[in-house]
Amino acid sequence: MPAKERDDSERERCVTGIDAIDHILNGGIPRGNTVLVSGSVGTGKTSICIEFLIRGALDGENSLYLSVTEPTDKLLENVIPFDFFDERLTKQGKLQFVDLPKIYEELGIDKEDMDFKEARLLASRIASIVEEQKIQRLVLDSVTSVCYRIKDQERIRDFLLRLGTVLSEKGCTSLLVSEIRSTEEGYSRWGVEEALADGVIVTGNLERRGDLLRTLQVVKMRGTTHSRAKYVLDLTTSGVLLVPLLKGGSVAGGG
Amino acid sequence: MAEQSVPAEVSEKLSALSVASAVALHLKADQYFDAIQGLIDRFATKKDLEVVYVTSTIPSQSILNAMEALEIPVEHIWFVDCISQIMMSQAKRHPHSIAVESPTMLENIMLKVEFLLRKNPERSALVVLDSINSLAIHNNTKILSEFLHILVNNLRARGAYTVIISMQEYETDEIRNMLVLVSDEAVELGA
Repeated sequence: MPAKERDDSERERCVTGIDAIDHILNGGIPRGNTVLVSGSVGTGKTSICIEFLIRGALDGENSLYLSVTEPTDKLLENVIPFDFFDERLTKQGKLQFVDLPKIYEELGIDKEDMDFKEARLLASRIASIVEEQKIQRLVLDSVTSVCYRIKDQERIRDFLLRLGTVLSEKGCTSLLVSEIRSTEEGYSRWGVEEALADGVIVTGNLERRGDLLRTLQVVKMRGTTHSRAKYVLDLTTSGVLLVPLLKGGSVAGGG
Repeated sequence: MAEQSVPAEVSEKLSALSVASAVALHLKADQYFDAIQGLIDRFATKKDLEVVYVTSTIPSQSILNAMEALEIPVEHIWFVDCISQIMMSQAKRHPHSIAVESPTMLENIMLKVEFLLRKNPERSALVVLDSINSLAIHNNTKILSEFLHILVNNLRARGAYTVIISMQEYETDEIRNMLVLVSDEAVELGA
């Protein structure tokens, strides 16, 4: 008997609003998935995440950006001036930006090295914000920075499992930004992030005959069939645009 | 009977085509600027089209200068300039011109075309690829065929006209075969 084809309509989708990504994912991210957006510097991770939140907020979904590495006012100064951004979204609270260091302070987490208790406290606090504010889309930029403070692999695993579980239970679709070096193998600094995530989207730089192309590839996404091909990415004021990477027949590197 | 001018011939032949057609426009080098005038000033204006002009032959500023001389309004014309950057020329760019670093960055050409079409989604569009011969200098046939195949089909799905300029003096068999594969029609001027 032929194997039953997976039915992509089984799970409700969180339509990212980034047309090409929704196309790659056959309609969007399965709602409640925790997705690792992994890549080296300058490959478009933050732009993808911010567009995901703005599109969601425009569609009526409460969206939250948790910034670890950069104060949000500085981040907003440097972000692409998207044509579709509406300042009223932040004023109405549909789109919120929170600096994670403020949450550390609020929770009394002042040590560089978080213990089990503190890591669990942080996961619970993020979960309670999501619940209180009815957040449907969340971005943690970056999970790598949080993991740096947790350090130990077992504690990182515990933190990510707890966070992923509670976000999923609340139907919150989340993107966790993972910073990797361009030379690094795997999709995360600690190795456990990619194993625990429901999905992995990888951004990168591809050098071809001296040209440097920004690329995007969906490596894993639970709950849907999806393309695993590599796409070329452009960050524009109209949003993130993607086209297929040309292969040039069978010529390696496109000739 | 008087011989028809190049701009009039281009406009007339393109006007006879159905919407979303992909056309290979074969012309001689000395017909170049007249053909551009026919494409933009006559055909696109008549059909009220937004024009995305991909140039890998000469810098967009040179085409803009020629348009200015011919008093062609540029309000609805947008350039994807694949040649100025590689020539390391011209620090200041026209507001209707977007640069692609090199004619080898074919994916980026598609992305810029997509970007410009999204800017004016309510208007029908004409995308001009000038020219297949200059792109063939920088790219091999396999990747160029793949590029044309994806671009033309994407534009066809959007209902946009595609015109691929080919200079007869520089045509090879490979280029001719490629154009036959992706175009709905071949238009030869003076034929």
